[in-house]
Formats: sequence, structure tokens, C-alpha cells
Amino acid sequence: MASSPSVVPVAVTAAVIPVLSPSSDFSNLREIKKQLLLIAGLTRERGLLHSSKWSAELAFSLPALPLAELQPPPPITEEDAQDMDAYTLAKAYFDVKEYDRAAHFLHGCNSKKAYFLYMYSRYLSGEKKKDDETVDSLGPLEKGQVKNEALRELRVELSKKHQARELDGFGLYLYGVVLRKLDLVKEAIDVFVEATHVLPLHWGAWLELCNLITDKEMLKFLSLPDTWMKEFFLAHIYTELQLIEEALQKYQNLIDVGFSKSSYIVSQIAVAYHNIRDIDKALSIFNELRKQDPYRIENMDTFSNLLYVRSMKSELSYLAHNLCEIDKYRVETCCVIGNYYSLRSQHEKAALYFQRALKLNPRYLGAWTLMGHEYMEMKNTSAAIQAYRHAIEVNKRDYRAWYGLGQTYEILKMPFYCLYYYRRAHQLRPNDSRMLVALGECYEKLNQLVEAKKCYWRAYAVGDVEKMALVKLAKLHEQLTESEQAAQCYIKYIQDIYSCGEIVEHLEESTAFRYLAQYYFKCKLWDEASTCAQKCCAFNDTREEGKALLRQILQLRNQGETPSTEMPAPFFLPASLSANNTPTRRVSPLNLSSVTP
Amino acid sequence: MASVHESLYFNPMMTNGVVHANVFGIKDWVTPYKIAVLVLLNEMGRTGEGAVSLMERRRLNQLLLPLLQGPDITLSKLYKLIEESCPQLANSVQIRIKLMAEGELKDMEQFFDDLSDSFSGTEPEVHKTSVVGLFLRHMILAYSKLSFSQVFKLYTALQQYFQNGEKKTVEDADMELTNREEGERKMEKEELDVSIREEEVSCSGPLSQKQAEFFLSQQASLLKNDETKALTPASLQKELNNLLKFNPDFAEAHYLSYLNNLRVQDVFSSTHSLLHYFDRLILTGAESKSNGEEGYGRSLRYAALNLAALHCRFGHYQQAELALQEAIRIAQESNDHVCLQHCLSWLYVLGQKRSDSYVLLEHSVKKAVHFGLPYLASLGIQSLVQQRAFAGKTANKLMDALKDSDLLHWKHSLSELIDISIAQKTAIWRLYGRSTMALQQAQMLLSMNSLESVNAGVQQNNTESFAVALCHLAELHAEQGCFAAASEVLKHLKERFPPNSQHAQLWMLCDQKIQFDRAMNDGKYHLADSLVTGITALNSIEGVYRKAIVLQAQNQMSEAHKLLQKLLIHCQRIRNTEMVISVLLSVAELYWRSSSPAIALPVLLQALALSKEYRLQYLASETVLNLAFAQLILGIPEQALSLLHMAIEPILADGAVLDKGRAMFLVAKCQVASAASYDPPKKAEALEAAIENLNEAKNYFAKVDCKEQIRDVVYFQARLYHTLGKTQERNRCAMLFRQLHQELPSHGVPLINHL
Repeated sequence: MASSPSVVPVAVTAAVIPVLSPSSDFSNLREIKKQLLLIAGLTRERGLLHSSKWSAELAFSLPALPLAELQPPPPITEEDAQDMDAYTLAKAYFDVKEYDRAAHFLHGCNSKKAYFLYMYSRYLSGEKKKDDETVDSLGPLEKGQVKNEALRELRVELSKKHQARELDGFGLYLYGVVLRKLDLVKEAIDVFVEATHVLPLHWGAWLELCNLITDKEMLKFLSLPDTWMKEFFLAHIYTELQLIEEALQKYQNLIDVGFSKSSYIVSQIAVAYHNIRDIDKALSIFNELRKQDPYRIENMDTFSNLLYVRSMKSELSYLAHNLCEIDKYRVETCCVIGNYYSLRSQHEKAALYFQRALKLNPRYLGAWTLMGHEYMEMKNTSAAIQAYRHAIEVNKRDYRAWYGLGQTYEILKMPFYCLYYYRRAHQLRPNDSRMLVALGECYEKLNQLVEAKKCYWRAYAVGDVEKMALVKLAKLHEQLTESEQAAQCYIKYIQDIYSCGEIVEHLEESTAFRYLAQYYFKCKLWDEASTCAQKCCAFNDTREEGKALLRQILQLRNQGETPSTEMPAPFFLPASLSANNTPTRRVSPLNLSSVTP
Repeated sequence: MASVHESLYFNPMMTNGVVHANVFGIKDWVTPYKIAVLVLLNEMGRTGEGAVSLMERRRLNQLLLPLLQGPDITLSKLYKLIEESCPQLANSVQIRIKLMAEGELKDMEQFFDDLSDSFSGTEPEVHKTSVVGLFLRHMILAYSKLSFSQVFKLYTALQQYFQNGEKKTVEDADMELTNREEGERKMEKEELDVSIREEEVSCSGPLSQKQAEFFLSQQASLLKNDETKALTPASLQKELNNLLKFNPDFAEAHYLSYLNNLRVQDVFSSTHSLLHYFDRLILTGAESKSNGEEGYGRSLRYAALNLAALHCRFGHYQQAELALQEAIRIAQESNDHVCLQHCLSWLYVLGQKRSDSYVLLEHSVKKAVHFGLPYLASLGIQSLVQQRAFAGKTANKLMDALKDSDLLHWKHSLSELIDISIAQKTAIWRLYGRSTMALQQAQMLLSMNSLESVNAGVQQNNTESFAVALCHLAELHAEQGCFAAASEVLKHLKERFPPNSQHAQLWMLCDQKIQFDRAMNDGKYHLADSLVTGITALNSIEGVYRKAIVLQAQNQMSEAHKLLQKLLIHCQRIRNTEMVISVLLSVAELYWRSSSPAIALPVLLQALALSKEYRLQYLASETVLNLAFAQLILGIPEQALSLLHMAIEPILADGAVLDKGRAMFLVAKCQVASAASYDPPKKAEALEAAIENLNEAKNYFAKVDCKEQIRDVVYFQARLYHTLGKTQERNRCAMLFRQLHQELPSHGVPLINHL
């Protein structure tokens, strides 16, 4: 960046404010594009590379401006002219990562831009030194607090300026970052909100805010500037807070107003679909994204997760090789390779790559959990527990790690012990059927059948992913000789399968038909019984039984015992049972965590 | 706020704020504070025999151990400590640190080079394997492992440490002298420190692993033995959080946090901490290859067992049972008999809440002896004794069993169990109604304590057994009418076991019971009634019983009767014999108060049979009193008198003062009643004897402030004097009666119709 334009724009506050106070709607896309280009330039001058990248990407997705519309660079002020030489030199140093040197030459500069760069280089210098120390030591086992010597001094100086109201939008942003690094979350949030008011176009401030807000309630009480940037922010934070429906709605709106080409939005939508486990949609969107932007590395770990779930080996292999060519020392790349090895059942190698990812970024949460899964595959339960615990330490709300811990203890045959972990996972994802089924299985092992029934029923009610809850419920009822309910569950199960229309092999289908055949047989509903028995004949394991039953039915019918033939039975479901279906699908109140945490 | 401490407390094992204590197998590292201690040691070695007096040297030696083990402290504090024991040495230490800090890096390097000299020579100053020697060698080793940049950092940290110490002393000495510029600079500094100051008070920087281990074990033992001396729950949690922040792998801290959460009855956090601890323990267990798979599985079993214990403590018996089953299953699979033994004991504890399962317990004791687990075995014996005591086994057998287990305790010096055993003896003696013996045992436990503080090892001041013994002591004193002494004991209890501590419920119940009894004696039924709620909260059965008594005293007979019947059925079901007998007595009293003494007789006989069977002498004599009274009402005073002669001896020996009074009063009544048929001279003699007995009864009643009873006695005496024609005495008694009667208006109960 040594060759940055010699005509340097002015400080943001006074001169540019009319341009930089964006409207709240998307009616004028040209205006928006102008603003984006301007802010991309401003952030680049201050070394805020990620914000610059984001703005530029977004600007790129909008149609190009004609020459006449292009914004002339803002005029220079007296202060800027004074600091010009120092700034140019320092920026050059800054770009080659000689932060201390840059700070030295910027000392005493008065212009806002030079001041920001001065403070920012001091901050980065501290961060760099901290990172350098990390390299000496042990790699992935690191976590915990950051130690940046410069933070305290920066905080004092910035707070003085802040009180004197001398900070511009970028200054406020830096002040917020310093506060956040010092764990002063509340103050940091206030400062970031202020920053978004002063300079709404700066995406970095919004993004920092996203990281600090932990729930919906907090979001409600923020007073945010009413600009079009807010829409991007809201969509982003909804994704973070797992409010996927709202997020998708917002993104759809953004696409509708004209940002359809933005790779950022497309990737966010794909991630959202991934989070609600709509795998097919997410996959197709990711494929689209890769066509648009083949050298993109961000979010590719999510993509690889999807490929993994679908066990698409060749695609995953292609992705892994491709990313490795682009940049093999990226967290995402390591993660993709790890997934690739895991899919090939080379779990040691997979664990190795996840470890490498953690070396690159110790706070990269996903890798801890994935590493835990790998250790589980290797039957190294203690290492798995360790990895999951690390994941939880990084983020207490990581439900997969809790679930993984539960699974580990379940493998160790400690069903009561793992209840706690499954409950934790369930608390975090109340509507995820997998946790509920796991809980139900544990209760079943502990012979707490009432609780188990509740869990299975609830799992079915929230939309069972694996379609196993009903069968398990039915079997429970069978055990408790509640044949009526068992039959109902089997019927619902079969209905579910047929309505899905999927031709996935369901092992339990034959069991269901066999039970139903026998049930109808006992109830002397011959027609239904024979239909079910015929269905039984279609499966290998129940064929003999089905045939035997059919013979028996025939015998009994021939003896003239057909009292129930008057009953109308169009399909094998009695009308009473199928009518029952809708009202019982309500979610019964359930208190799983009543007794213990 | 980690960054703050790090500048003050240099720590090479820390990266990113995380302490990697075991990286090089070193548990300790050099910090500026440690350098100061090293200087002190060095100085102590250098000053010859003559320079420091023997007293000072002894004080210094005593100071050393806490300095070596404890957490890092500021320089000024260190100076102060040294100054207190030896001012002269403090001065030279100060000078040397000043020289080192204000000099160059090579001064420090030279210092460490010279350190090892103290081991050399024909007569080394420090022995290599002594505590000090080990410390010195640890430090030298840790120092030589430092890298180039780390040495420099250590030096700058030392300088800063020194400057902070200086600044503090300067501040203390003369605040005004600091010139303006410096003041401004300080202002800036202070501004920085504002948010940190409060934190700094409690947590003084990261602890090394050694220091942390010391801290944890100290707090844990305090929690067990003397809760009041441990840090308060909040501050302890703060310390632990701090510790975990710097070293998240320090699993033991999670366990202490579990214990701490138990103190405040926090189910959620304690479960969380417990499971976290075992997750972490499993990790370290797997890492240490020596244990291998064995150690790993072991921690799993104990994890389940601990979870069971946790649920049991919070009263989730069903959950506890499930967890216990799991522990048993895993232990069985891996043939871990020791763990199984523990499970068995817990199984008994759980079973106890449901039905009696002494078979289980006997098994447990036998097996525990077999596997050489003396602690479990004696604990089992003690539980067994307790159970048998309730089941009415003879005292000599129980005492024998306790004596045998005592032998075991002394042999293995299980002082905790010795305490429990004595407390149990106190309780058993009280159960059998031998107040003198109980008193003696309780006193013994308390003086044992003073005996133990001599050897200064483990002081177990605030265990449950002490609370139990003290409560018994308070009740015994109250029974004898020494209310001042009782309240003194209770005050002591309150100090020792503050209201939110683990065993506070014991004295709370005891306190309320004593208050209740006093209120009843005084005839302040409304006061007693208000206490019932408190008692019910602590012990529901006791509460219901007391409620019935109050109702009875207030003449609400039918309500009282209903309540008593319910209570009787309940107590019979849970086999609480003591309470059954008490209830039966109350029921009998109800009957004769409602003028149907004939119905009371079978009830009383039942009570008598029960109390004889279970050898509850105290209740037996009370029952006899009631029987005699019933006979008196039924008009057979001679019978009653002979019955009384049987019971009076144990009552006078061991009974409560109130019972003594009642017994004497009853004797007098019977004497008078049986004298009715005598010829005049003999009658007069009998009446004189009765008056004597009445005087005695009056004295007893006066001791416990029973105004109502005194009134009755005085009335009776007046009547007797009247019969004997002693007008003067009669008038005196009549006046007394009038005074008392005005104080407490009678509730329409026939005066004589009262035991």
C-alpha cells in the first residue's frame, strides 16, 4: 500500500457526513454503491482490511457506475496535509507489519486518520507480540485469556479522548475493540453502538456487536441507527442466534432489492440452511457459490460438513484438494481435510488435521468438537471427553459437544451419568429430536419408562429427523402391553414413511407390519389383519410369519367367524384411529429437567 | 483482567494467560516474590550465630514454611512479616533487593550463581534434602531452565515488583512530598487501577501449581473440619474461578468448587462442578500412563458413586439410587471390591430412608473388614449400633460393639470416627434416659478437643459430632433447669456453626425445643404455638407432636386427639418407637383429662410395655407416673403409692427437674388420699410427710419456673395445713396461692386434676 493515492481523503466527521449517513431503505442502489466504495477506501486507508474486503465485495455485487457518477475523493484538510508525510511513511511500515515503527513515526500527529493508524498500530503490535509468544509453546492446548500489554494504556488514552468527544467512528471502533479484549463487555457494547451511530457504514463495528450479543433480549434493547446496514446486521445476528427463519427472511429481502450477486449473502444463506439441517438446499447453494467464487475459502468447512453428512466422497475429495491448492494453512482447509479423512475412516489422520486447525486458531470451536468425534471413532474415550470439554470451555452453548459427551458416557455404559449431558444439549436445542431420542434411550435403559415415553413422544412431536422415535415409542408401549397405543404408534410410523415417499430402507417397517397384523388379528379385524400380513410377506425376516398368519386368518374366516366385516375399512387403517391422528399430535407439556439439573 | 497480574507476577509457564504447570514437570517457578524469599534465606545463612538472637531465629524459622508454601505477597507485606520477627534482618534483605533491582541484570544472574554455594563446603549451610534445600534446588532448576527472553522478563518483573513495594512505602510515609508531576503520573496510574483494585484485594496473582495445591488442600480440610475458618462461599468461589482462569486443567479446583456449592445448597452448580471434575480427572488419569486403563476406569466408577452421593445429599433418593446402581454395575464389571464396598455403604444409607436393612449393613461390615477398609467398617458398625439402639437392643451389647470399634479407631487413629463414636454414646445414653452418663460422654468429647489441639495436627472443631454433643449438652442443662447454662451453650453453638452452615439445623431445632418447653412451663401457650411452625420446618414429626401438646394445653381436646391419632399411625409405620410412646402418653393424658381415666389405663399399659421392651427407662418412668395418677383418680391410692415407689428412684436419679417435681407432687397426693382411712394421729403424721414432699416438689418446680404447678402445690399445702390446724402456715400458703392465681387465671380445669 506504499503507493496509496497521494490525494488523501479527509477525516470522516465533518466533510463527508452527508454522504456517510445512509438512508434506511434500498430505494437508491446507486447511492448505496457510492457509499460502499467510499467506505471501502476509507477502511483500506486505515488498515481495516476485513471491513474493506466486505464493503468491496458488496459493492462488486451491484451494477457498475458510469464515470459521471463516480464520487470524487473528499478534499483534504490542513491537518491532513501536515501529517501527510508521516502518514505515508507509517502506512508503508504498517503494511509490511512493522507496527512499532509505524507507531513511532505517527507519534504526535493530529489528523484523525493518522491518529487512528497510530493507535491501531500500537494495538496490533501488542497483539502480534502476544501471538509470537504463543508460537513458542504447545499448540492446540492453549486457550484462556489474551495478554496484550498495550491494551491498558490504549484504554486510558482512548477513554480520555472519548470523554472529550474527540473520537470519530473508527476511533470509537478501536476503543470498543480494546474494551472487549479487556473483557469489559458492557462498556464495549455501548461504545460499538455509538460507533455504528457515528459511522454506520463500517461493517467491522457491526460485526463486533454481533459477537457480543448473546440473546434476543439483548438485541431488543439496543438502539441502533436506522440505516440499510442495519438489515445486514440483523440478518447476520439472527443467523448467529440460531433464529434461522428470521435470518432467511431478511436475506431473501436483501436479495430481492438487488444484492443477488453478493457472495457474502449467498454463503450466509447456505450456512443458515445448514443450521436447520436442510441439507439439499444448503448443498445446492454452496455448489452455486463455488461456481461464482471458486477460490473462496470462507465457509467451506460448513460445506464439507454437508458433504460429509451426505457421504459424498468424491465431491469432498475434490473440495479438499482444491482448497489445499489455494491455501493449505487455513483453518477451513484443515477442517475440510479432516472431514475428508474422517469419511475415509482414517481417523488418526483426521484428528491430526483438526489439531492443525486448532494450532492455527485455538478458538476455532468446531475443530474441538470434530476432534472429539474422531477420538470417539478411535475408541479413545478419554481423549474424546477432553476434546469435548475444551469445546465447551470455548463456548458453553455448543450443543454438539454436550451431546458428544453424553454419547461418550453412553458408550461407557453409564446411562444415568450421561443424562446430565443430554439434558444440557436438550436445553440448548429444545426442538432437536436427536437429543430427545438419546434422552429417551437413556431413560429406557434406566427402566424409567414413563420418562422415556415422554421423550419419544416429544421427539416425534418436534419433528423427528431419524424417524426412530415412533418405533421406539411403539416398542415401549408393546413392553407395557398397551397394545392400543402401540398399534397407533406403528400406524403413524407407517403413515409417516409413506407420506415422506422416500425409499430409504427402514428396518422397522416389517416389525411395524408384523405387530399390526397380529394386533388386528387379536381384534378380529380380519381384513386389516390380512392386508398387514400380506405386507409382511414383502420382507425377508417376516415372510414366514406373514404367511402363517394369512393361513390362520383364512381358516378362521372359513369357519364363518366374520363378525366385523360390516365395518368400513377402505385402507388397513380403521377410521377411528386415523381420525385420532391430528389431535394427538400436539406437544404435551414436558418437564424433563424437573428433578436434577 | 489477567493482563494486569501478569505484569506484576512474572510467570514463564504462562502463555496466553494459561499456566502450563506440568510442561517440564516443574511444579514451581521463579517469581520476584520467590527471589525475595531466596534473598531472605541467603541472608539468614550469611548472618552468623551471634548476629541474630535465638528467639529471633526461632521466629524466623516459623515464618519460613508459610512463606515457602503460601501465595505470592507484595514486597511491603513481606518486609513487615520479616520485621516482626527480626528487624535487623529485614533491613539487610531490603538493601540487597534494592541493590539487585536498581542494579543490572548481571546482579540477578550473579545472585542465582551464588545460590548453589550454600550446598557446598564441608559443612553446608543448607541440607540438600531439607525443606529449604528442596526449595532452593527447585528455584535454581527453574531459573536455569528459563530462556533468554524469559530471564530478561523476570528481571523487569523484579524491578516492577520492587518499585511497587517502594511506592507503597513512600505512600505510607509521606503523601505530601510527592511533587506535582509525579502526582499527575500517579493519577493516570490510579485511573488504570480503578477497576482492578477491588479484585486485587482477594486474588493476588496466579498461583504456581504448588501454591495452588496447598491452597486447595487447606481449604478442603477446613471445609470438612471447621467451616467457619474457611473462606466464605462467595470469596472461595472467586478464588477458585481465578485459579481456573489461569489453569483450567486444574481439576481439583472443580472438586473444591463442588464442595463449596454444597455448602450453599446449590444443586445446579454443584452437579456441574462435580461432573466437570470427573471429566477432567479422566483426562489426567489417562495421561498418566502408570495407571493406564485401570486408573481411567476407576475414576468412572467413582464418578457415578459421587453423583449418587450428591443426589442423596440433596434428597433425590430415586436419582441417587439410579446413579448408585450404575456405579455398582461398573464396579462389578471390573471387580473393584473396594468401590463396591463404598457402594454397599451408600446402598444402606439409601435403604435406611425406606425400610430397615440391617442385613445389608452386616454384610457391608463383614466385607469391609475383609478388604481391610477400617473406616468403612467402623462407619458400618456405628450405623448398625444406631439402628439396633432404635430397635431396642440391650445397652451392654451396643456399648460392647462401640468399644470394639473404638479399639479399631485408636489403632488407625481415625480421630473423626472417635468423635462420632463418643457423640453416639451420648445419644444412646440419652435415649435410655441416663442423663448423668450422657452428660459425662458429652463433656468427654468436648475435652477431647482441647486435648487434640495440643498436638496441633488435625483440629476437628466443627464436625457434626460436636454439634450433636453440644446440642445434647444444651438440652440436658435445660432439663435440669439451668437455662442460663443452656443458652450459653447455644450461643457457643451459634458462633461455631453459623446459621447457613451445614450442621446449623441441629442447634436450631434444639434451641426451639428448649424455648418451647419453657413457654409451656410458663403457661404461655400462644408463644409455644408460634414456635411450632419453626420446629415443624426442621422436623415435621416433632412439630406435629408439639402442636398436639399445645392444643391439649389449650383444652382443644378433639383437635389434639385427631392429630395424635394420625401421628401415632405414622410413627408406628416408620417405627419411631420413642415418639410412639410419647404420643401414647399424650393420648392417655387426654383421656384422663376428659375424666375417663379407665380408658387411659390400657393405653398406658401399652406404652409401658413398649418402653420396657425398648429399654427406654426415661419414658418408662414417665409412664409409671401416669399410671399411678390414673390409679389415684380411680380411687386406689395405695396401689398408686406402691407403683410410685418403684418409679421414683430412677426419676430422682436421672429425670428432668420437672418430672422430679411432678413425681414428688404425685407422691404427696397419694399419701394424702391414702391417709383418709387412717386414724387421726397416723393421719397427721402422713399429712406432715406429704407436706414435706410438697415442699420438695415446690422447689423442683421453682427451678423450672412452673408457676401453674407451684400454684397447685401451694393450694394443696394450704388445704393440708388447714386440716392440721396450722393457721399461720395456712394463711401464708393461701396468700401465695392468691398471688399466683391472679397472675395466671385458671382455664377452668379442676385444680387437682393435673399430674
